Amino acid sequence: MSEAEVTSPPTLHLSSGPHIASGRTTGQIMWMVNLSLLPALLWAWAVFGWPVLAVTASSILGCITAEYLACRIAKTESTVPDGSAFCSGLLLAFTLPPAIPIWMPFIGGVLAIVFTKAVFGGLGYNIFNVALVGRAMMMATFPVEMTTRWLTPALGNVDAVSSATVLAQIKLGGQEALNKILAAVPDGGHLWLDFFLGMRAGSVGEVSVLMIMLGAAFLFWKGIIKLYIPLSILVGVALMAPFSPAPTIYMLSGGIWLGAFFMATDYVTSPITPKGQIIFGLGIGLLTGIIRNWGGYPEGICYAIMLMNILTPALNDWFRPKRLTAGGAPS
Amino acid sequence: MSLFSWRNSALPTFSRGGVHPDEHKELTEHLPIEDFIPTNVYLPVSQSLGASAEPLVAKAAKVKRGDVIAKVPGGVSLHAPVSGIVKGVATGPHASLVYDTVITIQVKPSEDDPQFPEQFGWQTLPVAQMLERIRDAGVVGLGGAAFPTYRKLSLPKDAKVDTLVINGSECEPYLTCDYRLMLEESEKVVLGSWLIARIIGVANCVIGVEDNKQPAAEKLRQTIAELGLDKMEPPVKMTVVVTQTRYPQGSEKQLVQSLTGRMVPKGGLPLAVGVVVQNVATAIACLDAIRNGKPVMERVVTVSGRGILSPKNLRVPIGTSVEDIIAHCGGYAGDVVKILLGGPMMGRTIADLDVSVTKGTSGLLFLTAAETSITHYQPCISCGECVDACPMGLEPNRVSQYMEVGRPLETLQFGVKECFECGCCSYSCPSHRPLVQFMQVAKAAYRRQERKTT
Repeated sequence: MSEAEVTSPPTLHLSSGPHIASGRTTGQIMWMVNLSLLPALLWAWAVFGWPVLAVTASSILGCITAEYLACRIAKTESTVPDGSAFCSGLLLAFTLPPAIPIWMPFIGGVLAIVFTKAVFGGLGYNIFNVALVGRAMMMATFPVEMTTRWLTPALGNVDAVSSATVLAQIKLGGQEALNKILAAVPDGGHLWLDFFLGMRAGSVGEVSVLMIMLGAAFLFWKGIIKLYIPLSILVGVALMAPFSPAPTIYMLSGGIWLGAFFMATDYVTSPITPKGQIIFGLGIGLLTGIIRNWGGYPEGICYAIMLMNILTPALNDWFRPKRLTAGGAPS
Repeated sequence: MSLFSWRNSALPTFSRGGVHPDEHKELTEHLPIEDFIPTNVYLPVSQSLGASAEPLVAKAAKVKRGDVIAKVPGGVSLHAPVSGIVKGVATGPHASLVYDTVITIQVKPSEDDPQFPEQFGWQTLPVAQMLERIRDAGVVGLGGAAFPTYRKLSLPKDAKVDTLVINGSECEPYLTCDYRLMLEESEKVVLGSWLIARIIGVANCVIGVEDNKQPAAEKLRQTIAELGLDKMEPPVKMTVVVTQTRYPQGSEKQLVQSLTGRMVPKGGLPLAVGVVVQNVATAIACLDAIRNGKPVMERVVTVSGRGILSPKNLRVPIGTSVEDIIAHCGGYAGDVVKILLGGPMMGRTIADLDVSVTKGTSGLLFLTAAETSITHYQPCISCGECVDACPMGLEPNRVSQYMEVGRPLETLQFGVKECFECGCCSYSCPSHRPLVQFMQVAKAAYRRQERKTT
């Protein structure tokens, strides 16, 4: 049409707008979550030694093997590189006792991915938190190993196998058990400080509240998590603390912090609007308290989160974003 | 949003949603407007929304600059942007309609081409005559919407309007044509705004400019002070308000809220809250029409992107082809994968270099693979980024999930019809889901259903 010598570029893409993107991808988010769990993992390695890394590797391997095979069977592109299965494996390992037989986390990882994620359609379609279903299935399958294979924390020198976590001891023995535990704390030591720093028997990744907070702060800074869910969980748990014989220990133990900042904030299984998230969080906190104080388990956040996962679609329906219209102040 | 929006927090903005993409305005914001006249222009007869126009010239006809060459019955006209000879009237490509009737004119300027000098007594023309001149000059919204301006300014009898908002937001990344106009032709912007205020009978005019265009805001303030509009008859109080740089600040509803605090009702126009909005370039076109009797024959287009050798702010005749602009700007400068008419958030991709500039074309962008996003999309992970980004408070995530399972007619509950396709949702989506496209397809399904039932 024109005399100007201009040819079309070899490939021109046609699409509706927008033609630019924020640059954040699902894979990036998942790998940042994985990165944020590193401090807690390193701490666990320092206090519990090599078994921690073996348990973690086994669980991750189980998850990504199952994810890879599920994609092969479904004839879809492998979603292993997006880091979500890796993340599920890491989080599952964090909920396990460090001295559990090495093959068990692998089984747990496979079960978690297959029954929570793959059969529902893969990433984005699961109803329950993948890692927590894995843990729940392991509790049902390996009840003894899941509750007895604890290690006594010792920086650099780990050998003792501890019989039960502090929460489990209190659950069984009540005030008397608590007194015994407190009496065993050496002079000048503080039990709550051990819990905060992570010098106690407990699951791989949940022992150190401090390290979990570090990772959570990173995710918050990167805008990956918001605080509505974790803070309302902590409020919910705190409301039930007076019913416990040891409120401080109760607040600092049993994976509340890991659950609040890393499990309950899972995008797929949590509500979207702030109001929905607050109800979700409070529900988890209160249910955790109810399970611990009156239920059959010393802990409870795992089941509390799974119960509230069920409500997520409903919460998304009940608490909708506020439309921009005359008269209503948008939320 | 709230915890980290401390930046510019003192400046007004809209109440929810929005994004802040990289601006890329540094490519062209310092470049003065340049004129470029190609050897041929290709004019699609459809230049604005609504009924299609009929060509009024045939092959071999001689036309003069400003002659009416196509007309929508009872609507806006299309004028010859250049003097010359009609080489053909045939089907050709159109940026948004795919195909249209295109009038090709070979440019042949002559000594006696009309110059459109200032006409006597333009300030005191009756409103009806001013509107007529705007219509006859073929003025449409030059911000991109291309809605006929005389229709927007012909208010219903019962309309209660008290404020004119002039839109100098230019919130789309890359685009700088309105910025350059505000800097270089601030007097025309201000006088044009004053005329529009006269037409709609208001004494209050607010010009909204984003924070990243401070020099333009400063220049406009200076010009307003120099012209002394409050002493003119009728007096108009004109203020320049700097808003936060936040997309889509230039959308009517968002701009009205930022500048006046008023919320346009669902499905309504700014008129419902006593406001009329016009773009800065449109204000200039209104002045040209009323003061000089000059029709819309040219416009400023930002030619930018990392894929073009010399980015420019070009004033070109309507009908200048993309191909001629590429040649004039030195050719490609990288692996161009997308060519856009408009900005990167709402612009349209084209695949045919014979497409030409229409009245609504604000930008011509050549994007390389590094600056645009071309990727497969993934499942929704319910992160809620799109819901946070939506300035209308809609649920693009839910719409997309319903669309994926083939249930477009159940998406009304999530607000599809209130979506104005700003693109904030897709921009924010980490799974790169084409949320705007899902919205468009859902809306089309409703339109089809409405056609069937009526």
